[in-house]
Amino acid sequence: MKPAGSIDAIKSARGGDSAEESLPLVTLQSVSLGYDSKPVIKEVNLAIYPGSLIGLAGPNGSGKTTLFRTILGLLPPIGGTLSRNCPLSNFGYVPQSTALDPQFPLSASEVVEMGAYGRVRPYQFLPAMEKERVKEILHQIGLPQLAARSFFSLSGGQKQRMLIARALMVNPKIMILDEPLSGVDEESRRSIADLLTKLTREKGLAVFFSSHDLEMVQRVADSIVRIDKGQIWLDERKARLHL
Amino acid sequence: MSTLFEIVNPSYLLFPALVGTMIMGLVCPLIGSFLVLRRTVFLGLTLPEIAAAGVAFTFWMQQAGLLPQMGQSERGVAMVGSLVFTFLGMGLLGYLEQRGKGLAEGRLAAAYAFAGALTILFMVFNPAGQIEVLNLLKGEVIALSKAELRLLVAVFGMVLVSMLLFRREFLLTSFDRDLAFLLKGRQVVWDILLYLLAGLIIAFGVIMAGPLLIFGFLVLPALAAKPLVSRMSSFLVVSSALGLVMAFLGFYSSVRLDLPLGPTDVTLGCCLIFLAYGLSRISKRMRPALLALICLALSLSACSVKTAAPPVPEAKAIHAEQLWLAKVKNSTALPLFLPVNNPLRSLAEMAGKISPDDYRQSVMDLLRQNLQTELGQKGFQISLPEDKDARFPAFPADSAGATRMAREGKLSGMVFVTEIWRWEGETQKFVRALVDFKLVRIDDGAIVWERRVQRAIPTPSATNLGEASADAVKAILHDLFAG
Repeated sequence: MKPAGSIDAIKSARGGDSAEESLPLVTLQSVSLGYDSKPVIKEVNLAIYPGSLIGLAGPNGSGKTTLFRTILGLLPPIGGTLSRNCPLSNFGYVPQSTALDPQFPLSASEVVEMGAYGRVRPYQFLPAMEKERVKEILHQIGLPQLAARSFFSLSGGQKQRMLIARALMVNPKIMILDEPLSGVDEESRRSIADLLTKLTREKGLAVFFSSHDLEMVQRVADSIVRIDKGQIWLDERKARLHL
Repeated sequence: MSTLFEIVNPSYLLFPALVGTMIMGLVCPLIGSFLVLRRTVFLGLTLPEIAAAGVAFTFWMQQAGLLPQMGQSERGVAMVGSLVFTFLGMGLLGYLEQRGKGLAEGRLAAAYAFAGALTILFMVFNPAGQIEVLNLLKGEVIALSKAELRLLVAVFGMVLVSMLLFRREFLLTSFDRDLAFLLKGRQVVWDILLYLLAGLIIAFGVIMAGPLLIFGFLVLPALAAKPLVSRMSSFLVVSSALGLVMAFLGFYSSVRLDLPLGPTDVTLGCCLIFLAYGLSRISKRMRPALLALICLALSLSACSVKTAAPPVPEAKAIHAEQLWLAKVKNSTALPLFLPVNNPLRSLAEMAGKISPDDYRQSVMDLLRQNLQTELGQKGFQISLPEDKDARFPAFPADSAGATRMAREGKLSGMVFVTEIWRWEGETQKFVRALVDFKLVRIDDGAIVWERRVQRAIPTPSATNLGEASADAVKAILHDLFAG
């Protein structure tokens, strides 16, 4: 393990080097991030390329969500350079399902439909094409039968998959998933892990997900970024496996 | 007594009020649904209170000569104050929210208490307008005129269209602000628009229906709809539908049972919440049957026509041509003087706040004069007890008391007694009355005929409170003598 993740290290860990893939979707150079000008993590160097499946491992409160929120533009970086090579509307974000308010009476399909809202004008009805796409994606994640069910009545794993479906509705180039494997049963973990792998291998999406469970991240991710005590670094044991 | 079919007839005097209530019942829950889901229900309570403070402030300023008089348009003045204070309050609360200091609930609770205190203080500073302000704050939608209804349709119609057009944006920013930011950039505009629409319906609604009813319409249908639905689209539709049901049944009950509209509607709204939670606990297959049963019971009760009370009998029919017409007893706490022309002074006089400079005719005098004429036309020969002995006071409506007084005064035959329990001229648009009339045989204390009139009497053509009382007296006597 070496402190401070390096762009080159992650690039080599990912493998593959086609012309299209050579441009990173997101690059962080010496970025400090945190809240109210107080840095939580300093000197972050990171690049995310298309087709990469990166796991971010670290204990609770280590700054995983802060890093994601900074990449997504929800938090301004305190210092350094953050650049994105695709618009924010190409980012598929999967928040922790517990972050969503269960007060809302929403069906699973209504939650998935939200991913299309960026393409629909306020006064338009949701086009039939988008409705078809909702069905298609629900098939893709293997839960078409739950479309009409109340979103908050679903199990943890089902909710996570629905949120992944919502992120896919955006037509993303990169998916950022905050703790997608926590609070779900083993079968759902496997199913979500398979889905993430499929998205990177077959669709060429970049997937960056976090977990506090290092073992789980090692099982799923192609490369692992570790975060703890204000430091971030590439876990080279995993990187070597993929070289 | 009004039946269901009477109140839905466009020629019915209170039809504009019914339509106005139903419009509020339809539109308010759409905004209220988002307040409930965003957990900002207290905003729906605080903003009406702030609007009420605005009304009281405007009247005080007008009374102090710091604002120009706007003719007869009391509600126009009130609306200006209501709108200005609502938007100022929203701006201040929004600013504090941005600063993020303290608890949101704490801020709203403090604002609610502050606005309530200010309302009372502004009313105290303005004694002449106190009653008027109180009446406006009670917001009797029953007095809604056609011009006000048009304004209501315009404002609430605009809010309805906006809610339909931007429902997705409001949902997205309320449910997941991060996704909203990624898909559409900074979403502050949708927050502002939602609160602007809320402010509009609250500012106008408080004047036309009062803070209680507006808060009820905002929150209760949404709370009742929640256990019944699992989709957002159904939630909005069911909330609005329940708002309509609450508005219609509340209005009908209010008219039929002579109850104030605001509390009746709110009570009904709370019943709907219990009913909804009850329905959500029974199986889905049973629900339609149960709903059908409830609808049937409501329809039967609503369509039933109460048997008309008998009119005052002809003198010959009861063999009592000689009749003592007692003074009308006023059992309200108010002197019920008939005002002359200054509306503010008149209101204060009717409430006993200002003593009349000289003798004023009262509602009791007016009622008695009209009774004398009408009873005469029924063939009675009317005598007045005070002609026999000037010390005769007004007779109470209970037959034992009236008989005792008559016997002590050595009267014989029949005595006609009248007692006013309630006489409230809310505005010149209608009068709420509760009056007992009895024809009592003095010898044995038997009640030959009796009638209780308890209702809100519309007085649409009245231009001041005196005319309203006069029109109400005529309407009551028409009821008594025509059956």
